[in-house]
Amino acid sequence: MAKGSGNAAPAPASASAARGFDMAAHVRRINAQDKAATVVLTLIVGFVLLILAAIVVYVLASGAGKLFDLGFLTGKPQQFKEGGGIGPQLFNSFYLLVLTLLISVPISLGAAIFLAEYAPDNRATAIAKTLIETLSSLPSIVVGLFGFLFFVLYLGWGFSIIAGAVALTMFNVPILVRVIQQALENVPRTQRDAALAMGLTRWETTIHVLLPVAMPAIVTGIVLSAGRVFGEAAALIFTAGQSAPMLDFTNFDLSSPACPWNVFRPAETLAVHIWKINSEGVVPDLEAVSNGTAAVLLVCILAFNLLARLVGKLLERRMTSE
Amino acid sequence: MIETRDLTVSYGGVEALHATSLEFQAGQVTALIGPSGCGKSTFLRCLNLMNREIPGCCVGGSILYHGRDVNTAKENLFELRKSIGMVFQQPTPFRKSIRENILFAPKRHGLVAGREQEDALVEESLRAGALWDEVKDKLDKSACALSGGQQQRLCIARTLAMRPDVVLFDEPCSALDPISTYTIEETIRAIAERGICAIIVTHNMEQAARVSDRTAFFYLGDMVETGDTKQIFSAPRDARLADYLTGRFG
Repeated sequence: MAKGSGNAAPAPASASAARGFDMAAHVRRINAQDKAATVVLTLIVGFVLLILAAIVVYVLASGAGKLFDLGFLTGKPQQFKEGGGIGPQLFNSFYLLVLTLLISVPISLGAAIFLAEYAPDNRATAIAKTLIETLSSLPSIVVGLFGFLFFVLYLGWGFSIIAGAVALTMFNVPILVRVIQQALENVPRTQRDAALAMGLTRWETTIHVLLPVAMPAIVTGIVLSAGRVFGEAAALIFTAGQSAPMLDFTNFDLSSPACPWNVFRPAETLAVHIWKINSEGVVPDLEAVSNGTAAVLLVCILAFNLLARLVGKLLERRMTSE
Repeated sequence: MIETRDLTVSYGGVEALHATSLEFQAGQVTALIGPSGCGKSTFLRCLNLMNREIPGCCVGGSILYHGRDVNTAKENLFELRKSIGMVFQQPTPFRKSIRENILFAPKRHGLVAGREQEDALVEESLRAGALWDEVKDKLDKSACALSGGQQQRLCIARTLAMRPDVVLFDEPCSALDPISTYTIEETIRAIAERGICAIIVTHNMEQAARVSDRTAFFYLGDMVETGDTKQIFSAPRDARLADYLTGRFG
């Protein structure tokens, strides 16, 4: 029992009154501060949203003409003539995203589970965490050139979609590890204790108790990293390459450059296409193609975000029966 | 059933619990009481070796469970915790359906097979946890939608589903309202009557008096006095226990 708390309560008021403390003025002042802070924060958020909305509207409006043009969306890119499409690039962007996630999600899940649940709290773990953070802030051009020297030349993969996916994995893993590790650490300790006290192993606890609770945060992490994959250009120029051979979806010869599923073919993505036609393009309708591609890229990112959230929600509902 | 001999616990070299020898019988409720930080929860967490999950925690002495010392490095934690269940201070339902909360651990331990056995176990456990009538129509709904008291009874039912012979309660009612507290005390009594050894840590002395057959009083890391609950509350022998009961400290 707390001692004497009952009769001590009125004391501060009388003591402060004796010191000449004006309660009413104090309340007025803190209320005014609260209002001012609300106004300033609202203005800041409004300003940021305005810039964002302006960019989105501008990109969509400039590319609106091409956005619903089926010939542009599925067509073959042109080198000299006008009327080129972005069919292969559109497919490449999604294929590269899927490949990158297939490589980086399992690695990141493993690393994050190890760091959050198994790693002893020692120097080696601290160094590993610092290294992961450093990797996430590596300039993409450095990763691109490293990928070029190591995967493209040394390993002899050539400009290929797999080289691009591995290079992108190097950005993705640090982001994903951080997000997933944080999500796991945010699960209350009591959940862990309860599962362990029922005679479950740490692995069972992680897979069946912690991961379902951390699921929404993990999906957020995947969406964030996917946005980065879609938008990345610098690292891909030197790894996945800048050429997009026309794809033939009836071709299942995995060694043919026209086979869409061949991971050793060069694959220019939408973002790289924008960079390329703006820096060295000679087609007469350069601006229209560039604007159209940008609009398509934006819509793709938006669509992927919505899809990922939907899948995350379904997954969560299945795992937690809510 | 379960017994400790000269059990000590130290965190990073500082002894938090001094040599404690206590014996717990099947079919009885034993209450561990004492002021905050007296070592009662620490002691409780030794019995199912949960203190091993805390880095830097070192448990000395022996814990005899059915006459076998389990405080050894080669003890199978997973088997042991199947037989020694634990209910925590905060209700800890998993984010799964009520049914899955009950079945999850028994399935992993291979205790049930087939829909029929599963249904039977769910009903039996929820009845033992005094929750069946309230949830029988929503077994596939999330356990997190239940009230705090219901969640705690679910945790008790979940523990009983493993058919343990010892159940440890770590202040199971401190987050609950009086009515839920009453229901849980009834449940604890009922569990003991089924021949299970129940051990409850509580800082609520009325609760200890209501629910327990035997009581042990801890103070500053020492087990000061133990005996029949009636004797402890009516005729304490140790002066510190007498002071604690009359509210002179803690």
